[in-house]
Amino acid sequence: MNPSQCPVHETLLELQKIPAERRIIHPRSRRLFEEIATLIQDIVAARAGADHLPSIDALVAEVCAFTDDPAGVDTGEWLKERLTEYQEVFRSHALDRNCAASVCDHLTPAPCQMACPAGIDVPTYVSLIALGRDDEAIEVIRRDNPLPWVCGLVCTRPCELMCVRARIDTPVSIKFLKAFAAERAMSWGRYHNPPKAAATGRKVCVIGAGPGGLSAAYYLALHGHAVRVVEALPRAGGMILVGIPRYRLPSDIIDREVAKIEELGVEFSFNTRFGKDVDLESLRAEGFEAFFFAVGAHASFNLGIAGENDFPQVHGAVDFLQRVALGERRCPGKNVVVIGGGNVAIDAARTCLRLGSEQVTIAYRRTRKEMPADHEEVEQAEEEGVHFEMLTVPMAVTGDHGQVRALHCLKAKLVTVTGSNRQSPKPIEGSDYHLPADAVISAIGQRVEQQWFAHMPGLTWTHRDTIRVNTITMETSLPGIFAAGDAVTGPATVIEAIGGGKRAAIAIDRYLGGIPQPKLPPVPVRQQRIPYIDVPAHTKMALKRPEMPLLGIDRRRTTFQQVELGYTENQAREEARRCLRCDICRRCGKCVTVCKEKMGVDALALGYLSFDHPHESDFRRTEQRCISCGACAANCPTGAMRIEDRGDERILSLCGTVLSRQPLLFCADCGAVIGTERYLAFIRGRLGALAPAPHNGDGPQCDVCARKKGHHGGSTVMAAT
Amino acid sequence: MVFHKGQMVRVRRRSSDESWEEYMDGLVGSRGMVTDPDSQINDPDSLIEVSLEDKGTFRLPQDCLEVLE
Repeated sequence: MNPSQCPVHETLLELQKIPAERRIIHPRSRRLFEEIATLIQDIVAARAGADHLPSIDALVAEVCAFTDDPAGVDTGEWLKERLTEYQEVFRSHALDRNCAASVCDHLTPAPCQMACPAGIDVPTYVSLIALGRDDEAIEVIRRDNPLPWVCGLVCTRPCELMCVRARIDTPVSIKFLKAFAAERAMSWGRYHNPPKAAATGRKVCVIGAGPGGLSAAYYLALHGHAVRVVEALPRAGGMILVGIPRYRLPSDIIDREVAKIEELGVEFSFNTRFGKDVDLESLRAEGFEAFFFAVGAHASFNLGIAGENDFPQVHGAVDFLQRVALGERRCPGKNVVVIGGGNVAIDAARTCLRLGSEQVTIAYRRTRKEMPADHEEVEQAEEEGVHFEMLTVPMAVTGDHGQVRALHCLKAKLVTVTGSNRQSPKPIEGSDYHLPADAVISAIGQRVEQQWFAHMPGLTWTHRDTIRVNTITMETSLPGIFAAGDAVTGPATVIEAIGGGKRAAIAIDRYLGGIPQPKLPPVPVRQQRIPYIDVPAHTKMALKRPEMPLLGIDRRRTTFQQVELGYTENQAREEARRCLRCDICRRCGKCVTVCKEKMGVDALALGYLSFDHPHESDFRRTEQRCISCGACAANCPTGAMRIEDRGDERILSLCGTVLSRQPLLFCADCGAVIGTERYLAFIRGRLGALAPAPHNGDGPQCDVCARKKGHHGGSTVMAAT
Repeated sequence: MVFHKGQMVRVRRRSSDESWEEYMDGLVGSRGMVTDPDSQINDPDSLIEVSLEDKGTFRLPQDCLEVLE
């Protein structure tokens, strides 16, 4: 399939040509094709139900069986072939209400939803939060993500990077809104699981209770399968428990969300290491028919420098964070050097401060610009007092009597290496120096612990030492064995692991049911279409993303209390109202074109519609220039732009943002709506002296009354006879 | 090339990397943003997460991407 085209839309266009081209003459065939076209039109317009595709199949079969009309049979066969070839695309249109090619106006998902690796219907839940319906928002999120509270605190938020509002000012604070709603729903006791399917009697084993494993377990349980999660650690959470410090994600939050998954009947076996305590054979003997591996990447890379293995004060960051997460509170040293520039290095440094280290330094071999850690995390670490030594290459750990004394380093400069478009650090000769330290933590990356898979020789690995999978189904080289999360991607994000777990669960369900696997990645499901929320243009522009209140700096340096304190209710509701509802407006720009080029009014300053070159956007400009002609609304393919008369006003709105509100004029004779003053002036301007405004002395007249009585009460021109 | 979060990129060609799958041919030409540029070590060989307009979010090899800014 050419991804720039939509096979469903193309099929509809072909069917609509049939009457014009007189390809099908027989009345019965023509009727059948008309019915098929009507059903496909329903699909394209987001009006389809579960019966549409089976009904189309039945009609196509009827056409193909009607041999009295060979032309109809030919076209029917063509259609049958097309429905088979693009079965998944037709299904995603009809059932998920999503056109991945963004051709079908009513089925184009919002950029935030498309960006989410789990495909969460962001505009729907943000709108529900704006309306104060937090529990419903959580219900929507949990159709695609079983851990909304966790993600509300630690997600890397690709949705916000693609948020269209960022082209105007700043993106909607999608992540924190999710945490707000989850906390509310949990507090109110309205954080519920969706209904489960009837038990299938099939058993699936999930290895790893991290975000990927929990996600797969949740969806498999919802499909009615019996699920056991095997976990090497004593608690559930995986990397979100042992890799993310408690000041970012309190463990109670993980426990509460895991408990909801447990409520679905998922069984957990903690302190059980796959490859040691259990293996594939023993689990198969227990009746497990499919396996999902989400074992993460828990092993630290070695530094490969002298002295690294000679001192007990040299730690791998992952091991260090894991020990702290599981309760250890021993200060690693008074003067700690953390080597690395990623998020794990930042987490390790900030954790050291909280354990009582007096001086914590991050040594990174490139410059701040190249640091891969999130800027916010770096800023918060600096605020707390973490020092940074940039362009520093560690050479050796030095010390005596089993105690680290310093990190021997070289200063470096960035140089461009021939054949590479990336600058590399080159040590400067003679720049040796000793960075005083009594503990060193290495945070230079993680890898998958492959030794536990030694008894699975058929499992193939990539050159990155990750499990090789088909990323559509997450199936490995071994039938019935699926994998996702960091074990597949390398160290990645929580939401990717959740999305991978969900994809794998769908594929496992198909595997158990003997259903062929899809050939294209799944497309997000549009859960609902929430009605617009009216927000005046001025308010829409004036509302700003709130600053996240943070814990006091002294408390941050000394305890593991959550640093981000969350929004107030008012802040959350207002923030949700900043959403532009891109689930409805697909940013085609037809409204702007018609207003500017056809009407010559140029009342719509919607520069954010352009992805490549967004320019000035100001919803308030419309109020000053709009003539309320309605041309924009008439040309809007999705109903996002709407013009309506409410009482004595004509209101123009874009996805609920009230752009223009103008008083209406009524006919002094019959009371009919004539239009707005600006609109009538515009028409008069266009027609010039040919059209003086109809008036009867008491007020303006509509055209009908004016024709009946003459413009100024003169002779009747169109008298009824 | 060091990729940063929020950088606008385009998939300029298919990759010969083993992680490239057939369906990804349909992504060539798409534009988007880097959403997770290997936040651990900035390894030029690692797969980075990219959100492509109208296509979704994928983890792709870096050699198929070009920066648009």
